[in-house]
Amino acid sequence: MTDSTTEFFETLATRGHEPALEKITGTIRFDLSSADSRPVRWLITISKGDIAVSRRNAKADCVVRTDQAIFAGIASGEKNAMAAFLRGAIALEGDRGLLLAFQRAFPGPRRKDA
Amino acid sequence: MSNDHVTILDGNTFVVSDSRGDIEASLTDTTGLFSFDTRFLARWVLTVDGEKLNPLSVDDLQYFETRFFLVPGTGTVYVDAKLSVIRRRAVGDGFHEELTILNHDDHPVDLTVRIDAASDFADLFEVKDALQKKGRYSARVEKKRLVLGYERETFQRATAISASAPAKIDEQGLTFAARIEPGGEWTTDLDVVPAAGASGAFVRPKYARGQRRARPNMERSLEAWLEDAPRLECDLDSLKSTYRRSLVDLAALRFSPPVAGRGKSLPAAGLPWFMTMFGRDSIFTSLQALPFTPELAATTLRALGDWQGTRVDDFRDEDPGRIPHEMRYGEMTAFEERPHSPYYGAADSTALYVVLLDEYERWTGDTRLVHELEREARAALNWIDEYADLMGNGYVWYQRRNEETGLENQCWKDSWDSISYRDGRLPGFPRATCEIQGYAYDAKVRGARLARSIWKDSALADKLERQAADLKRRFNRDFWVEDGEYFALALDTEGNQVDSLTSNNGHLLWSGIVQKSKAKAVARQLLGPRLFSGWGVRTLAEGEGRYNPIGYHVGTVWPFDTSFIAWGLRRYGFKEEAASLAAGILDAAAVFNGRLPEAFGGYERGVTKYPVQYPTACSPQAWSTGAPLLLLRTMLGLEPVGDQLVVDPALPESIGLLALLDIPGRWGRVDAFARGRLQAGERLAGARGRYRV
Repeated sequence: MTDSTTEFFETLATRGHEPALEKITGTIRFDLSSADSRPVRWLITISKGDIAVSRRNAKADCVVRTDQAIFAGIASGEKNAMAAFLRGAIALEGDRGLLLAFQRAFPGPRRKDA
Repeated sequence: MSNDHVTILDGNTFVVSDSRGDIEASLTDTTGLFSFDTRFLARWVLTVDGEKLNPLSVDDLQYFETRFFLVPGTGTVYVDAKLSVIRRRAVGDGFHEELTILNHDDHPVDLTVRIDAASDFADLFEVKDALQKKGRYSARVEKKRLVLGYERETFQRATAISASAPAKIDEQGLTFAARIEPGGEWTTDLDVVPAAGASGAFVRPKYARGQRRARPNMERSLEAWLEDAPRLECDLDSLKSTYRRSLVDLAALRFSPPVAGRGKSLPAAGLPWFMTMFGRDSIFTSLQALPFTPELAATTLRALGDWQGTRVDDFRDEDPGRIPHEMRYGEMTAFEERPHSPYYGAADSTALYVVLLDEYERWTGDTRLVHELEREARAALNWIDEYADLMGNGYVWYQRRNEETGLENQCWKDSWDSISYRDGRLPGFPRATCEIQGYAYDAKVRGARLARSIWKDSALADKLERQAADLKRRFNRDFWVEDGEYFALALDTEGNQVDSLTSNNGHLLWSGIVQKSKAKAVARQLLGPRLFSGWGVRTLAEGEGRYNPIGYHVGTVWPFDTSFIAWGLRRYGFKEEAASLAAGILDAAAVFNGRLPEAFGGYERGVTKYPVQYPTACSPQAWSTGAPLLLLRTMLGLEPVGDQLVVDPALPESIGLLALLDIPGRWGRVDAFARGRLQAGERLAGARGRYRV
């Protein structure tokens, strides 16, 4: 079973295009750390909504650093990215506007009645 | 806020103090230094030789700057004061204070000057609801500053306090030993700077000693802002000063949302609780200000578009396409104890978003933005059909899904008792209030225009026009109260009319949903004795079960509300009636020295002589600040028609000659001239207007 983070990025890669991100062009790198496992990295390249996903280490316009557990919550929709940012649980470097625009791609929580 | 509080602000950083300049906050008290919904300073008390000072006067220099004149002494007798104390304070990324003490005596004095400082780092929500904190406090004396801190898990906030004069710093404040020669002075600068995050980096305050020019958190300075706005020439001095006050307050209420990455500003809702992005308030204010400062609308549309809903999230009442209602940055939002990151519980803002986009293009001709936001506008139109029709009968309904901290009433009258039947009963949920149907109608009509003329999608335009016509027909049947000749406030889930008479009828005129045959009856109600107080239109008519002249949404007059009603009356050709409302609100504005409060009492004008301010009303408040601007538009009858601005004035005689010069728009700049000829109750005769390009 894959974790929610992997599932989120792989789904994004499979879709290849995300209409909600058509206004963005740029790269976002997610550096996900953990106290008891190796760091995980995802590099997202967006060109007017076209998305390429890789795990390369490369310079990015916006770097997002957070804990793996926190990001897993965001990727599954159980946690909110903006709240995590306000809490200091997400650190941003570079163009913050890119993550703001990208947050549209995060899913909502599973609904109780669903 | 009590009236003797002094407030200065810069974006969403503001300082509220007493008339001495002191801050002594309790958990429920609103004084303090606030930034991003957090109180960074809750105690800031100046003493000289252990004694507090007495205020002589306060100079409000500019919206971001004030000066306090103080003397030592214990009460009423200041005549033998040998010392004067001046505190000059400017807010901007924290605040900068210049403290000066003058010795008027003929011998030197040695004084102990003390500033007590502390912070509770309260979230504004905690101040409102008196909640207890969950994190840890700290106070640290560094080499040249005192750092107050608060920490809860990864959430960190800090306040740094420093002085230019030599000081003994302890964990509760700063002490200075001041020796002042006869006729001499002692002075120090004090800097208070907030910081967020783990980095602990403190910026410098925006103002250094002696700097007096406004440096707002925005692209344009106050001077450039005023310079760019149309010039008003008028016989009536009070209107001139109201106009200037409105422009200055609007400048002060501009706010650049962080993380927006655009550096532009939009109107925040109001002081002190609402210095943040509000969908509805920002949209209404942008509409009011369109003929004066159209760029506010552009920023509002972009910023709200950035945060448009994309998923279904019950905690935030979010749906795809829904326009956000309120954004907050404090601790409770950060820990998801409140849903404001952002919260989406408004049933009207999404339709109003499309209305603003169309009205903006009609004024500015900026089709580029209409293309840029095509996706957002389509998603908003889609939300009306796909997510808002909770009963499946073709109306927009609301019912919160977040039952703990969501909003019960998701319309502009959002207090708990605002939606009632004549007999005072409250309907169940969901509710379909009338004005939201009007906004939805208008959004479809305007959306159709944008689709046809700019997006070149005639299929969508046809569909929206069909839907709009159908909605109008059904609405005029289902909401019309036959025995009263007005539109019901809402429908309940059984399809029954929530039948009280309210100001919402005026918004229906504004939206255009009212059939021509019914407009006259509606106008008569709005100007009739049950709704019109002489100052403005009551939110709820006198005689209704819950009517209370000082009830927040059940009897008070809201200047913003009346300004949109005046616009609605103009839309249906009721020029004199619109002018009567404008005259009432502008008279009230003169009583309030040009700054209209959020709301004032619904007492009849003849009874109280003065408009009675609602006890806890916000001031300045963005859409009250915008009301005189919209009333100027309606009095002058400004209307973009194609590439020209049509001027068709109808003003009260009391205004005399009125000229609005350099009105910006797709025509370049245009002047409008008018002469007041309407007396109360008299038919309009010979009002003239002209325009030139």
